Amino acid sequence: MTSVLKGNFQAAKAVDAKTRAEPDDLESRFEREAMKKLGGSIAYVAKKKVKWAEDDAK
Amino acid sequence: MSETQSNIGLQLVQKMGELTWDRHGPMGVANAKRNLAFRDQGKSLAALRKEQLGEGDTAIVIAAGPSLKRQDPAKTLLERNYKGAIVTTESALLYCLRQGLVPDLTVTLDPHATRIVRWFGDPHLTRESLKADDYFSRQDMDKAFADEMAANQEILSLLNTYGPRIRIALSTSASQAVVDRVLESGMQVYWWNPMFDDPDAPDSITAELQAMNRFPCVNAGGNVGSAAWMMAGEVLGKPKVALTGVDFSYYDETPHRNTQYYKEAVALVGEDNLDQVFIRLFNPHVNAWFYTDPAYMWYRESFLEMARDAEYQTFNCTGGGILFGDAIAVCPLSEFLDKHA
Repeated sequence: MTSVLKGNFQAAKAVDAKTRAEPDDLESRFEREAMKKLGGSIAYVAKKKVKWAEDDAK
Repeated sequence: MSETQSNIGLQLVQKMGELTWDRHGPMGVANAKRNLAFRDQGKSLAALRKEQLGEGDTAIVIAAGPSLKRQDPAKTLLERNYKGAIVTTESALLYCLRQGLVPDLTVTLDPHATRIVRWFGDPHLTRESLKADDYFSRQDMDKAFADEMAANQEILSLLNTYGPRIRIALSTSASQAVVDRVLESGMQVYWWNPMFDDPDAPDSITAELQAMNRFPCVNAGGNVGSAAWMMAGEVLGKPKVALTGVDFSYYDETPHRNTQYYKEAVALVGEDNLDQVFIRLFNPHVNAWFYTDPAYMWYRESFLEMARDAEYQTFNCTGGGILFGDAIAVCPLSEFLDKHA
């Protein structure tokens, strides 16, 4: 897309196409902070129970 | 404060798996790789399937939720001379041992580098390290931990005495401090891997760990209480498992500051807006309201899903909290003992 949309003018400020504005509302801020602090003890996989090693005698 | 008002809290519940991985995943995997060196200091959890723990076909799980001190299940179990299997979380060890109840099996899971060892007694605990972390003193947990230095000495002493009599399902994700303390206390070690991801998926981290250490992989349900329940049903093979101290919530009158994520919540939404983070639920079995945070709500939802899929019966004898649903029978502990033990 950027290769097609080439301007014919010089922008007053340099534009970084990789930069995306991050929402800064209350919810977004909480989520970002929560990412650092929240969470349980260990991630898990629903539905599965125990996977025994192949050499575990039944 | 209501469920519908807790938009942020409920949205976070959906993200807890991802958040948990970000918080603890790499640490847990690193611990597991380091603990490979201790592989031979203990057995595989698979060995527990061949052992008879407790008489009969029941097991009681004792976790350390806020109901523990109000309901006092150890007192009931001792009075009733319960002979079935008793499986505790490590966080309930001090409570049990103080009551004179030596569990058949205790379970530990969380990889935190410094906090979890406190449940076993931290030989290196200092007043300075306590000042840096008020995790235990602030929360609505076992009040025995309020005087933390004294409690630490007590659990050190109790575990040094009773450790050799207690089996521990020791997660490979456990910290160096926990592993050192467990081995020092002479507990009987049974190693297991927590499921970090789907062990049958391509490039599974869990499968890689199992290939390395050959230990069983267990779905821990996100927390040690659920892991203890899984051990009772899936590993010990008990067809009837009763839960105590599994609240996944706080009593309605508990001050917010006594909850696990209070500081983070206040920092973000302010004291006046905490209702956006906490989630309030009515428990019809005890006719009372409780409130919870996103992590505990995630535990609850995960547990209900796992219970629906379980081949053993689950009885919640906690006497409060938010864990109730189709696959779980809710009753007082005394009633469970009357009918099943």
